[in-house]
Amino acid sequence: MPAVIEVDHLRKTYGSKVAVDDLSFSVEPGEIFGILGPNGAGKTTTVECLQGLRQADAGSMHVLGLDPASQAAELRHHIGSQLQDSALPGRLRVAEAVDLFAAFARKPVDTRGLLERWRLDELHDQAFESLSGGQRQRLFIALAFVNAPELVFLDELTQGLDPQARRATWDLVREIRRGGTTVVLVTHFMDEAEQLCDRVAVVDSGRVVALDTPVGLVQSLGLPSVVRFTTFAPDLSWLEEIDVVDSVVRHGDSVEVHGADPVLALVASELVAHGIVPLDLRVDRPTVEDAFLHLTGREIRRSR
Amino acid sequence: MTRGYLALTRAELRLFLREPFSIVFVLAFPLMMMLLLSAVFGNDEADAGEVVNGIMIWRGVTPTNYYTAASTASVAAALGLLTQPANLAGYREQGILRRMRASSVPATVVVLTHLSLAVLIVIAGSLVMAAIAWLVFGAMMPVDAIGVLVALVAGALTFGTIGLLLASIVSGIRAAQGIGLLLFISIWLISGTAPPPAVLPETVREVGAALPLGHLVTAIQDPWFGQGWDLTSLAALIGYGVAAGIPALWRFRWD
Repeated sequence: MPAVIEVDHLRKTYGSKVAVDDLSFSVEPGEIFGILGPNGAGKTTTVECLQGLRQADAGSMHVLGLDPASQAAELRHHIGSQLQDSALPGRLRVAEAVDLFAAFARKPVDTRGLLERWRLDELHDQAFESLSGGQRQRLFIALAFVNAPELVFLDELTQGLDPQARRATWDLVREIRRGGTTVVLVTHFMDEAEQLCDRVAVVDSGRVVALDTPVGLVQSLGLPSVVRFTTFAPDLSWLEEIDVVDSVVRHGDSVEVHGADPVLALVASELVAHGIVPLDLRVDRPTVEDAFLHLTGREIRRSR
Repeated sequence: MTRGYLALTRAELRLFLREPFSIVFVLAFPLMMMLLLSAVFGNDEADAGEVVNGIMIWRGVTPTNYYTAASTASVAAALGLLTQPANLAGYREQGILRRMRASSVPATVVVLTHLSLAVLIVIAGSLVMAAIAWLVFGAMMPVDAIGVLVALVAGALTFGTIGLLLASIVSGIRAAQGIGLLLFISIWLISGTAPPPAVLPETVREVGAALPLGHLVTAIQDPWFGQGWDLTSLAALIGYGVAAGIPALWRFRWD
């Protein structure tokens, strides 16, 4: 199957500010593709160009075989969008909103079924302004599906949601994929990318700095894991003999062993061989967050 | 597209009726002014022929009849200058237009809905105005209802387009409200909707008569009072509509 999205050397500037510098990637059918990066990295600009909501300055794009720059109106009939910073009139009710947008869809889905699927049926009579953040996001996701799209763009899906609502929203995204729809997920949350995405493009300053599966991203960088335990044993110098171990740090009884995987298994077996069986042996593995920090030299969740 | 247009127009009409502020300014303000001015100047046939500055001050009808017809023009101006631009600018500011665009709502549908709503609200508001004036003061009903309807539609479209232009120029809802209010009050004072033109200084009177609201007042009053259609004013309204409409469509912004 041909790629759902192909982007080649995309560039977009606002005056002298470069939002997207030189960006290339492709998205395969049926995958959840993450675009991950700090605020201001050019993520939203990229997906807005892909949806034909903004004109790129340079580069080529193909989305579902269409050119977003010249065939935007046609393209929007095939994609669903959950936009960042969008809203509905405060007094518009949930069911009215779904019916309204369904009226613009070429092959609208059954709106009653849509309301049920996104657990909006009990809220059908509620005005948009009275909905909680999580309920609004559910409504926006439902609206993105009103035209039975082949591809959906979800931009900062869980922005402003509490942890419970975030997890519920993640389940919804997994459900979308089960329906066969390709998903492009824009996020600055590491855990979201780790939990949901098949592949992640890490974007920084308008460029892709890494593109891999979340696990591959972390592994390819060979970042160290940290094994922690406590012991009274006075001499642990033999731990440093293990090939993968970089360093052993000791604060009183607590010990930290830094090293590349499979450091845990090797440390554990040596400990047992020396008659040390700590009850609190655990490992902290590198996360996508560490990978991002390593790739870009900065925190991803820096505040705006 | 027709299905979408009907759905958006229905939704917008509902939203208008749910928004107390918009109804107060569009309907209640012109209505209150009609009641107040009619109460002040009365509904006495003896005043109908009164002449000031060489002009028949009440255009040959009673003051109440004069203000009933003139105040329907205020409804169109209030809607086009106060409510609709602020509403549209707010839609843009809040990302509602972005949301619409992403869901394949064409700009033409947004514009057509905006203008349709203007026509519907102005006609409904005028009916309410005429009915209340009749109930309270026994004011006259339009002699030539078709002529009045044509003028109301022309006025609604003209002020609707001016509202589109205003919304396309301003940065946001606050600017739309401020500029809209300033424009509305200043033209409302000199267009025959507040003091009758005959009592105004000559220059002010001429400026008022040349403005869209001045033309709309005579375009409505002439058929209302059985004085024929004022084709000059209707043509002037269309001219204003086209002059505002072209830049408004050219400058239409989703965000």
